[in-house]
Amino acid sequence: MSDDRTDPAPDGGTASQPATDEREAFEEHPLEWDEPANNDKAPEERDSVSQPAEKYDDRKLVTGQAKYTADYGERFPDLAHAAVVRSEVPHGRVTDVDTDAAEAMDDVHAVLTPWSEAVPDAKYTSAGQSYPEPSPWDMNVLNEHVRYVGDPVAAVAAEDPDTAAAAADAVDVEYEEHDHVVDPEEAFDADAPQLFAESEVENGIVGHDYERNRMAHIDGEVGDVEAALARDDVHVHETEWETIRQSHAQIEKHTTLAYTDEDDRQVVITSTQVPNHTRRQLAHLFDVPIRDIRVKKPRVGGGFGGKQAMVVEPIPMALSLATDRPVMYEASREEEFGAMRSRHPMQVRARTAVTDDGDIAAMELYALSNTGAYGSHGMTVAGNVGSKPMPLYSKVPNVRFEADIVHTNTPQTGAMRGYGAPQGTLALEGHLDEVARDLGLDPVEFRREHYMEVGDLDEIAGMMGGEGAERRIRSCGLDECVERGKEAIGWDDVDQPDEDGRHRGIGMALSAQGTGVAGDELGAAQIMMNEDGSFHLQVGGVDIGTGADTAFIQIAAEVLGCDEDDVVVKSSDTDNTPFDYGAYASSTTYISGMAVKKAAEDAKERILDWASRMLDEPVENLETADGEVYSEATGDSVTLEDVGYESVYGHDDREHILGKGTHSTEESPPPFAAQFADVTVDEETGEFEVNKLVVAVDCGVAINPGMAEGQVEGANHMSYEMAVSEGITVDGDGRAEVSDFDEYGLPSASETPPIESILVETHEPTGPFGAKSVAEVPTNTVPPAISNAVREAVGVRINEMPITAEKIRAKLDEE
Amino acid sequence: MEIQLTVNDDPTTATVGPDDDLATVLRRNGYTGVKCGCDGGVCGASKVFVDGEVVMACGVDASEADGADVRTIAALGTQDDLHPIQAAFVDHFAVQCGFCIPGMIIEAESLLAENPDPTEAEVREAIDDNRCRCTGYQKPVEAILDAADRMDGGRVAADGGARPDEEGETHE
Repeated sequence: MSDDRTDPAPDGGTASQPATDEREAFEEHPLEWDEPANNDKAPEERDSVSQPAEKYDDRKLVTGQAKYTADYGERFPDLAHAAVVRSEVPHGRVTDVDTDAAEAMDDVHAVLTPWSEAVPDAKYTSAGQSYPEPSPWDMNVLNEHVRYVGDPVAAVAAEDPDTAAAAADAVDVEYEEHDHVVDPEEAFDADAPQLFAESEVENGIVGHDYERNRMAHIDGEVGDVEAALARDDVHVHETEWETIRQSHAQIEKHTTLAYTDEDDRQVVITSTQVPNHTRRQLAHLFDVPIRDIRVKKPRVGGGFGGKQAMVVEPIPMALSLATDRPVMYEASREEEFGAMRSRHPMQVRARTAVTDDGDIAAMELYALSNTGAYGSHGMTVAGNVGSKPMPLYSKVPNVRFEADIVHTNTPQTGAMRGYGAPQGTLALEGHLDEVARDLGLDPVEFRREHYMEVGDLDEIAGMMGGEGAERRIRSCGLDECVERGKEAIGWDDVDQPDEDGRHRGIGMALSAQGTGVAGDELGAAQIMMNEDGSFHLQVGGVDIGTGADTAFIQIAAEVLGCDEDDVVVKSSDTDNTPFDYGAYASSTTYISGMAVKKAAEDAKERILDWASRMLDEPVENLETADGEVYSEATGDSVTLEDVGYESVYGHDDREHILGKGTHSTEESPPPFAAQFADVTVDEETGEFEVNKLVVAVDCGVAINPGMAEGQVEGANHMSYEMAVSEGITVDGDGRAEVSDFDEYGLPSASETPPIESILVETHEPTGPFGAKSVAEVPTNTVPPAISNAVREAVGVRINEMPITAEKIRAKLDEE
Repeated sequence: MEIQLTVNDDPTTATVGPDDDLATVLRRNGYTGVKCGCDGGVCGASKVFVDGEVVMACGVDASEADGADVRTIAALGTQDDLHPIQAAFVDHFAVQCGFCIPGMIIEAESLLAENPDPTEAEVREAIDDNRCRCTGYQKPVEAILDAADRMDGGRVAADGGARPDEEGETHE
């Protein structure tokens, strides 16, 4: 691995991009797209896609029959349970681990330390990303050098969970304590404690400077921002913003069951978003061939990026190897908050140069990202602070983004739904709202002057290379999102409350995301036809509760002309399904779904070939629908079942009809959202109520509108939490102060405002049946919309999340 | 020690350790529809009926449940014959990962037994300690309100409750 990689990194990117010649750009990113004729079906022609097909696993889920990882335990009579000993000091070196007492306990099967033979000593990153990973290899499975309260030091396997926990308590660890640093700005100081020696990291990332605790520095620019800021016809506006350390708070905790199967292969049943990446990383760590590891994903109880990482899998695998038993590790809820992953807390500065009439000459964001003790997803998340929200304003000619990603002795951060875009969107959308106010402009019209439209060449997405490399916008429903959102929230007719001192305001914010990682993803699928005319769909794509399996079925059924019930889906088992990069970056429907579509088309081609012979009609005349192949010329038909039997049991010829499809692309079309928040604030107390949230989303064609709405509402719910909850607070030792849901402040049903979701249909020609992504873009917008609404209601600006009554009152008192 | 339970009408003898909670014991005996999302009585995923009352099974000492009548999600409906609340959750796309859903449906059944025609605020209040991370609460609340209509005062409507159309209205 090179020490200081400077080539554009996948999934985030680092290098500056030279200005592009417009003609060249058009050739490289033409507006016209060579779209297959069957991809753009009018709504009335769609049989399965964009219909409310029942979610594939719903009946199992509502009856409690669905199997999550922990539910597999009962199948293993000799199952052992794991517990982890975690560092009690924020920074130091483990000098001794006394395991005698734990090992002497009844029913304890193994106690592992950093020096145990079964524990790999290779460096790795937990980030489940592409390969080579754009995250530094800075972690060990068990650590001698500990860097936060919660760092794993030792692990235990015992007969039952209580014994494992007791044995873990009995392990005695001695430390040589080092100074620690919790504040990201202080971490830069020359005399700040240093978390990493250069030699402790492999695969260092561009701009790293471990003497200053800096894991990476990234920047990118389009045009010349300095020159624009210096113009004498512009005002320079600057605002600063701060976001919380948000927890994924998946209701199912990180859970893994590892065992050696009857063929001497290592099987890992795990709650993951990234089975293939996990398989590769485990092979690296344990130095075994990839083919000898099987990663199988059952139902997953929520991911949100928290499981886009190999968070717990190596520990049960090491314990299983050490004990020759199946071992299950289920993190505790306290560990979830203190030792799994969280959203990167950030400070973001926004600067613009704007003329009197509202023309934005330059726009700049700078992010200081606190990546915590380790660097997984640190650089790529920070990259997205700029590369997701800023392209929304593709008409601004001069744009710059810069970020420092810094280590502190605090719990680990990682990927989380929105992936940097929520932090950037708060800063940018809050800032632009403030600028519009300064200039006396309508905030919507001010944005409209600069935001994307179809045909725009988006150079901003490409300013840091890699992900979201510059692109042509081929679908954009922003105008409709704004108009329908305004109408639903009552933008033009805001009544004020009768009570004295209570003021109502509506705030809005826009957002753009991506759909998959441009040029750096792969999805694959296979379809085999059964003789009864049904199909088995094997797909690497990962359903973590989003309904992806159902979307895959709908896409396959639309192509094959069969009922959804006639498609059996098998997904995310590295022994039995094709490769997939995993469920992240809003890519599942777009990338994996397109692979399914291609596989279905491949199978359909064979089906038509057989039907052509059976009907004695040319293939060009044939089409599939309602479980039949029919001739558009004669009206004659055969059923898919007829084709199924004939193809495998035929007298003259036989063939098992198989279709395969793989998909990767340079495209990453943005979905769009317009968010509106209706807020009432008491000017005496600062207390506020969010009366309603409205979010309108352009996700292209929604493959399943009901599921898509669920994604939008769930994302907005998560975004609301980011606006009003403290998140995971840490004390002076960097220790998470949150150990359960009550302390965390996950908003409950009565604490959550009504959320109205609006799907705005456009057609994205590069996506399966016109689809682009839906699940991330509404995660970005509630904090700025509520900040803007409070500003509208009582005239004060809250820049630091969460928005609280105390902060509002303090600002009102200042006035 | 051994305790006697009646679980979903089946007499069950369960071996329990001194630290075992009821959720662990039910899961160990195959009732894996009972989920554990926290470590003790906070998230609502482990809700079951004990002697007719909704409890979070992970917050109950198993030894104290000796002799109890327990109903889990498995007592409500089957995949082929869903309870109207389960059907409403399916029809409203109120389920994503599904981990919290059995507990939420148990709570919804309790609510509708006591209050067959709740307001939206009453539904939200009832499920206030059921944490959902995926869907949020909009669709679950709509599903429970629709289930109340389908159940028609505690009895299941003659048509079993039909699928809502796009506006969320139920077809006649």
